[in-house]
Amino acid sequence: MFALIVKRILLAIPVLLVVASLTFVLVRIVPGGPFDADKNLPPEIIANLNAKYHLDKPVPEQYLLYLGRLAQGDLGVSYKYVNRTVNDILADAFPVSLQLGTISLTLAVLIGVPLGAIAAVCRGRKEDVIAMFLSTLGISVPGFVIGATLIFVFAIKLRVLPVGLWESPWHVVLPAVTLAFSPAAYLARLTRASVLEIVEKDWVRTARSKGLSQWNTVLKHILRNSLIPVVTVLGPLTAIVITGSFVVEYIYAIPGMGRFFITAVMNRDYDLILGTTLVFAVLLIIANTFVDLAYQFLDPRMRIED
Amino acid sequence: MRNIGDHRFLISEFAKRLGHCFLAVLLLISVLSLSACIRPRSRFEPGVLRVNLGTEPPGLDWHTATDSTSFDVVSNLMVGLTQYTNKLTCAPSCAKNWEVLDGGKRYLFHLRDDLRWTDGKPLTAYDFEYAWKRLLNPVTAAQYAFFLYDVVGAREYNTGKLKSAETLGIKALDAHTFEIRLRKPATYFIYLTAFCVSFPMRKDVVEKWGDRWTEPEHFVTNGPFKLTKWQHEYKMELAANEGYFDSVPQVKLIKMFMVPEASTAFALYENDELDFIDNRSFATPDVERYRNSPEYKNFPLLRANYLAFNVTKKPFTDVRIRKAVAMAIDRSIFPRILRRGERPATSWIPPALPGYSPDSGLKFDPVAARALLAEAGYPGGKGLPKPELLYPNRDDVRLTVEATQDQLKRNLGMEIELVNQEWKVYLATVRKDAPPMFRNSWGADFPDPETFMNLFTKDCGNNDTKWSDPRYDALIEAAQGELNAAKRADLYRQADVMLCREAVPIVPTFLATQNIMVKPWVTGIAINPLDLQFFKDVVVDDSQNSQTKYGAR
Repeated sequence: MFALIVKRILLAIPVLLVVASLTFVLVRIVPGGPFDADKNLPPEIIANLNAKYHLDKPVPEQYLLYLGRLAQGDLGVSYKYVNRTVNDILADAFPVSLQLGTISLTLAVLIGVPLGAIAAVCRGRKEDVIAMFLSTLGISVPGFVIGATLIFVFAIKLRVLPVGLWESPWHVVLPAVTLAFSPAAYLARLTRASVLEIVEKDWVRTARSKGLSQWNTVLKHILRNSLIPVVTVLGPLTAIVITGSFVVEYIYAIPGMGRFFITAVMNRDYDLILGTTLVFAVLLIIANTFVDLAYQFLDPRMRIED
Repeated sequence: MRNIGDHRFLISEFAKRLGHCFLAVLLLISVLSLSACIRPRSRFEPGVLRVNLGTEPPGLDWHTATDSTSFDVVSNLMVGLTQYTNKLTCAPSCAKNWEVLDGGKRYLFHLRDDLRWTDGKPLTAYDFEYAWKRLLNPVTAAQYAFFLYDVVGAREYNTGKLKSAETLGIKALDAHTFEIRLRKPATYFIYLTAFCVSFPMRKDVVEKWGDRWTEPEHFVTNGPFKLTKWQHEYKMELAANEGYFDSVPQVKLIKMFMVPEASTAFALYENDELDFIDNRSFATPDVERYRNSPEYKNFPLLRANYLAFNVTKKPFTDVRIRKAVAMAIDRSIFPRILRRGERPATSWIPPALPGYSPDSGLKFDPVAARALLAEAGYPGGKGLPKPELLYPNRDDVRLTVEATQDQLKRNLGMEIELVNQEWKVYLATVRKDAPPMFRNSWGADFPDPETFMNLFTKDCGNNDTKWSDPRYDALIEAAQGELNAAKRADLYRQADVMLCREAVPIVPTFLATQNIMVKPWVTGIAINPLDLQFFKDVVVDDSQNSQTKYGAR
């Protein structure tokens, strides 16, 4: 297990380098620059700005400068938020997204997995139809529709929950539910398919025939084995959910980092684009490492020799 | 004995248990939600104004800030030598009076004696001298540095040609006298002294804290409010500045939220969680719903929208075709489709400014338009190439260009192709090689025709039409230095006629408006046509009566 972690850390370095380099090139290929605005600036002013942010240097030199700073953990400065560094911005925004994402993910697992299991068990019956209807709805209805509907019902009509903002624990409820909707639906479909496959296996019958209790069979044999695909998708899902969602943060006015995935690109805020992309990549690598560790716990066949 | 191959029983047990867990979770969520329930809360906090900024201000350093959100905040934290009134004049502020000398080339500002910063230190002319020189210092990389290019040596210093700031025409003669020397007379110069970028700044604070000097714990200001809290991307809190030299504001605290989504902000307003909202929090259907409400108000802004031609591209190299387009568009369509009380415009100078004349531009006249097109060799639009009209990808802009396309087809028989691009790509395209037609807009920086008319001079970096005329440039230069107000207005009017009636590189379409909603317990909100919001005269009623009057929820 230790070897696996070390190997993952070593592999992460080239992966991050590739991600940083690709993003660096892509953001500079896109037309339009950070200082383009509806009021065109005199060339002298643009020259001052470019000098301040080293954008006057040749691109390869900018790239080396960037990598140098990156190696020291400095993600650079924002061109849009003039007095703030990318590290500052992400340090403020990431904890908010992390809180909301963790709650949503928990909610998604607690709702999605049982829903899928019930659907599988009651295959073809009305419970199955209802569960799959709900999950199709969850996957196909976009977040802004779910969010707007929840706000309309719970905040405007019933007035039991706040419309938005990030003031008290009550302000977390609607955004967490909105954010959980789609992952819960996805997990439900996945769990259903997986449980359906496992209950038909010979070894489930064998487990019962050797006298194991029902509960033990379900927990140790059916559930544990049907969770493998679920755990697999939980890796990327975790990275996606805890880095925040543009839509959810926008409609509930939550100061998370999801918005930067979109706004940084619209503003051509080069370092912020790179910063958010790298944070996402790091989280994805961490989550996938956890998934690999979880495999070993769930399925001994996957254990790698140390 | 149960058949072990039959897993039905086994899983139905499992399902039951899971079902119970699931129900329990759902129940928990509902209970949690409901327990948050309907506790009576007051509909407003006396003395506290809650507004929506829409987004995080990109920066509160007024030398590097460039956007209206930052200026909205700074305008309430700081005051300059003069101050805009809501009637578009400049009133004394830090300067109690000023003298215009040497035929308009020298300004002498006399400062009040009782000026103090929020940390108690006296504010002097030296703070202005430091601030103006910092704005022009190329190291600051201030986007608005060109604002002071009329000052002696300013452009040279800002572009690095002049190394020392000593010879600049900016000097504090003593603690209470501030002298400015200009390269040439510029009548509009006084307006610049009310604009954010010309506010004073504290050298010791800026140098000590570097980029972090605008954080609430270090920030030192001189205006009616002071910054007490800044949760980035979420909320700012501004408290009344007890030491403000003018009247201390009645509002004790302003909470400025940053709600980016208009429908959420509007719902917050409807739920009494915001007291005042403007365009940033309005979707058009909401305007429709509240048009007749006493809480709704609509103000014209000094922001003009226009259709521009690249006069070097066919078919718009021919002025007759440009004129035909200008006369074929019925501007009254724009307020009908945008529904925010937009004001149709045919001249480039807006009605609120000197030099405006309703007859400067070409009016809607489809018959004359068709005749001009026929004269240019395209009767009924036959044989006319299909030009592109480029516009930035935004819903309201799309509506206006589609209406334009329809009008040209209907009134001229002219087909145009609509092309949209993402905002920054659009800007880059227009600057590099503008297509035959593009849609643009311009907001005034100060309340003077100069801010609009300068745009189409030869050397202006924002003139993407490729049109220029030495006679036009001469008129603008003469107007800049003219001290007689009536003569000056006439010079701008002549230039406006040249722009909108004779050469027609642009077709003005409409003036944008500010739509606001204010709760009945808030008074004193006034909108400035420059779209700056000053909250110092606002009152949020704190009497016992009003609480009863509006009720508790």
